Parts: sequence; structure tokens; C-alpha cells
Amino acid sequence: MAVAQVRKPPMGGIGKRVAYYPGCSLEGAARAYDVSFRIVAKELGLELDYLEDYNCCGAMETKNVTFWGTMLLNARNMSLARRQGHGTIVAPCNGCSFALQRAEYFLETDKSVFERINALLKEGGVDPLSEIPHTYHILEWLYHEAGPEKVKERTKKPLKGLKVANYYGCLYTRPHFYARTYSHGGTEEQERPRMRETADDDEHPYYMEALLEAAGATNVEFEPMHTQCCGGPHSLSDEQVSEKFVMMILQTAKRNGADIIATECPLCHASLEMYRHRLMMKGVPDVDVPAAYFTQLMGLAFGYSAGDVKLKDNLSDPLPVLKKFGLA
Amino acid sequence: MAIHERSLVDPERVLRKERLVIDGVDVSGDWNLIILPRVIQDYDLDFLNEVLEQPEGKTILQCYQCSYCTASCPVHNYWDERYNPRHFIHLARLGLIDELQKRADVMWRCVSCHKCTHRCPKGVLVEEVLKAILRVMAKRGVIEEYPSKKFDKFFLESVYEYGRIEDGELLFGWIERQGYQVVKDPILKKPIPFVGGVPEWLKQLAAKPLKSMNIGFLVLNAKHMLFHPKTKNWNRFKQVLRKVMEEEGVFAH
Repeated sequence: MAVAQVRKPPMGGIGKRVAYYPGCSLEGAARAYDVSFRIVAKELGLELDYLEDYNCCGAMETKNVTFWGTMLLNARNMSLARRQGHGTIVAPCNGCSFALQRAEYFLETDKSVFERINALLKEGGVDPLSEIPHTYHILEWLYHEAGPEKVKERTKKPLKGLKVANYYGCLYTRPHFYARTYSHGGTEEQERPRMRETADDDEHPYYMEALLEAAGATNVEFEPMHTQCCGGPHSLSDEQVSEKFVMMILQTAKRNGADIIATECPLCHASLEMYRHRLMMKGVPDVDVPAAYFTQLMGLAFGYSAGDVKLKDNLSDPLPVLKKFGLA
Repeated sequence: MAIHERSLVDPERVLRKERLVIDGVDVSGDWNLIILPRVIQDYDLDFLNEVLEQPEGKTILQCYQCSYCTASCPVHNYWDERYNPRHFIHLARLGLIDELQKRADVMWRCVSCHKCTHRCPKGVLVEEVLKAILRVMAKRGVIEEYPSKKFDKFFLESVYEYGRIEDGELLFGWIERQGYQVVKDPILKKPIPFVGGVPEWLKQLAAKPLKSMNIGFLVLNAKHMLFHPKTKNWNRFKQVLRKVMEEEGVFAH
């Protein structure tokens, strides 16, 4: 494999002005995440530049069928971000940030991929890439550009007494090749060039915990289920496995005393809600923990109403729980 | 003798008697266990080369079989111990296609959680390598069409056609392909969520926004289901996409 010169990843901050890649889900079924994220960003003084006319990232599905097609889909989005003058993209979905970071990895480390993709982009009527933009998850972005202290400052209605289980899902910090997190595996020379300071801890992520704690919530112990898979790309095609995984996640949360599960990925969120309903229909015990996006909880803490952060959109119905704590 | 990875040994090759006494010595249970020897001749060395030709399969040679991937794998740990990424890589490198074919019923079960890739101390992109192996197996026809591949293709069709996916179409389209009777409106031929033979859980979930009078949510999603969101100027890009995917043989299998 021809290895191109690996760029030094940005150290320190990520940048206040970024291209916002919402992804298909956030424009439809997961609109609550989009709306509440915009509220939180506005409240924390951060500016979002909507990525115009983007296409689907291919998620986890297309990459199993076509390597070049998936590269091309993501390179188009990267090119659009460059056209809008951005070197950084933030994505709210684990799948989207994974797909963009994966493309970044292959474009960076394999020169033949980079050249072929550029030629194809030109053919498709899109500007070829001169520089490859970096992609971050919005959680990392919020943590680094606003941080827990600012969240604490803005909190008007602390989430007092609310016990939250923080569910990160799989691809937020994994794999380190793409997400550029630190890994305990591998030699130092292998890791260093791609590692970055802004990344969350790989096996014990804590950014969401820190932000929600600053908003007044109590975090319950949720290891190791906080990074356990929810079934992900198989949540529709392999129901047996997904159902078991979700059952494990929900029961661990419930038995550790959580009132609510905070999520940060629309696919994980949908999967948890869908299988929660099915498990409850089957009469499985200890699975009735509702789920809410972490931005929704932050929005509530900032003094917005349940209607503002679209809590009604959550099919697992967290309203009664939040009402109990006087938050909705 | 205990067998550490018993799932790797075919049950018919294991001989074991629960009660056995030989010359007055009690050798019951594992004391009399014998694994029948076998001779392997059908190595297919081209298989490894084909995996190496895949862009994701290039790191397969770095593997030193430590089994950290298998130890991390949730499918192995919580579902079926026959799902063993380390062993699949081993078999692919030896070119033992028969052995891979025996495991075809579990090989597709990877949920892409990337614990294996993340933790690999040798820098093997394990998840990607396994997908490359699956793809080569599919090309050779040693693995039948499996559910996740059907879904992947269905997903890709939607991306390819419009540039974007739409949750409702994905969900109901997939349910329909599973053989459920989805009722469609007569004019636009779009699915109606609350009636017909869709599973009960889906009916109940779809009715929730209706019950809570969540008008905004209903209107937005109905709009998207009726008029699929589309990326502008997609047609020119679509042609390039088609060309690339044709080269890869996506439309052939």
C-alpha cells in the first residue's frame, strides 16, 4: 500500500465555525436531535454552517457492498464542505462520523485511492479535493469548544436528581484508525501520527457524562454497556441478535438505577426505542427505561420547554419521568 | 483433556463416552476423549490473493492469531461462540473454503461494532477484512444470500436512486420484503403505516405520534414518505457511481 504523507492532526481546539453535516435521519424521524442540538449550540455561542445539498454517507450498510461507491459518497460531502470554506465537519450521528472518518483514513493513507477518487469527483461535476477535511462527532465539538464550565454557567434549571445512563454506542471512539483516539494496542510509532488530543477516552468515554453532570444530572455506573453495540446496521435484518443486545443495555441501565438513557446517535436511539417497545410487549422485566438525546436533556437544563426540544418525538416517552423531576 | 475452543472441532470428530471402565480403571468422561485426526488437502491459495485484492482486505497478512478480536466480539460472547473472527482469518489465509462454508450461517452476523479492529495489536482492520472475505465468498458462490446483505443492498438502492435515505421508506420497504402485507394508497403507491398486515409492534409504534397529537412530526414524516428527499444535481453524480459499482460487480451479484 502506497502510504501518503500523513498530515498532523489538529491539536488543541477543533474550531468554532464548522460545517454541520446533519445526515438523513435528522431531517426526518430524528428531527428532535437536530432541533435540540441547534438550541444547545446557539445557547453556547457556537455557529453552525449547514452543509448544503449533502448526500447520504452510506452509513454501515453500503460499505459492505461497494468500497469505491462509499468512498465517493463521502468524498462528495467533503468536497462540499471545502467549497463552503471549511476544514472541519461535525456530524451528530455515529454512523455518519464513522463513514466520513473512514473515508478520511483511506484517502490519507492510500495515495492511489486519493487520486482515483479525485478523478471520479471531477467526472461527477464536483470540485476535487485539495485538502481532506477532518470530521468530529458533535459531542467532542461541544466538549472542546464550549465545555462543562460554560454549560454550568448557562444552566438555568439543573437536572437535579435525574439519574442518567450515558449510552455512547459503538463507533463514537472506535476504531482508533478512523476516530483517531488513543488505543492501548499497537506500537507508539503506529499510533502517534493519527492520534489527536481532542478525542475522548477510547474504552471509557466521559464527555457526555461531563456535560450532563455540569447540567446538574447524576450519572449512574454504566460500564461496559455504554459502548456495547445495539445491533446497529443489523437492527432490522438480524432481529434476534439486536433484541438481545438492546435487552442487555436496557436491563443494565435499569438495574443500575437509571431514570433515563442519554443517547448521541439517531440509529442507536431508534434501535433502543424500537426494541424497548417489543421487549415490553413480550413482558421482559426491567426494560422500561426511556431514552432521550443528550442535547434534549441539555436543552431542558438551559430552560427550554419540552415542546422546544421536541420530547414528544421520542417514542419511548420520557415525559412522565422528566415530569416527576419537575423538568418538563 | 479439555478442548479450549470446542466450537472449532466438528462434533462428529469428537469421541467421548460418559461411562467407560478399561481393565478396572475408570476412564469416564473427558478421560477417554479422542478427537479423530483428519487430512486436509484442498487448500485454495487463490482465495487469499482475492482477499488481498479487495481494498479492505490488505491488512489480513499482519494478523498473528492472538485472538484479541474474538475475545472482544459481542457476537461471539453473547450470541454464538461459533462466530470466531480469528478463526475466519486463519481459514481464509489457508484457503480452506469448505471449512468457511460450514460456518456460512454465522459468518454474516457481524454487527460492525469495530471492537475487534480497535483492539487489534497488529493493526489489522479485522471488521473490514471479514467483510472482504464474505465478499470473495459471495463472488465464488460458496455463501448464499444472507439477510444483512439483502438489507445492505436495499439501503444502497435508496442511496443510489435519490442520494439520501428516508427512514419510513426504509422501514416499511424492508418489512414488505420480509413478506408482510403492507397496504398502500392507490395514487402514489406509498405505504400506510397503521393498517394491513404490518407487525403489531410497528403498528403500535407508528400510532404513538398520532395519539400524542404530534402534528409537526407527522406532517414532516408524511411529507418525506410521499416526496422522497433528494440531493440536487444527483443524476450526473449517479452515473459516476454506477460506473464505479459496475466495475466492482455490485449489479452482477
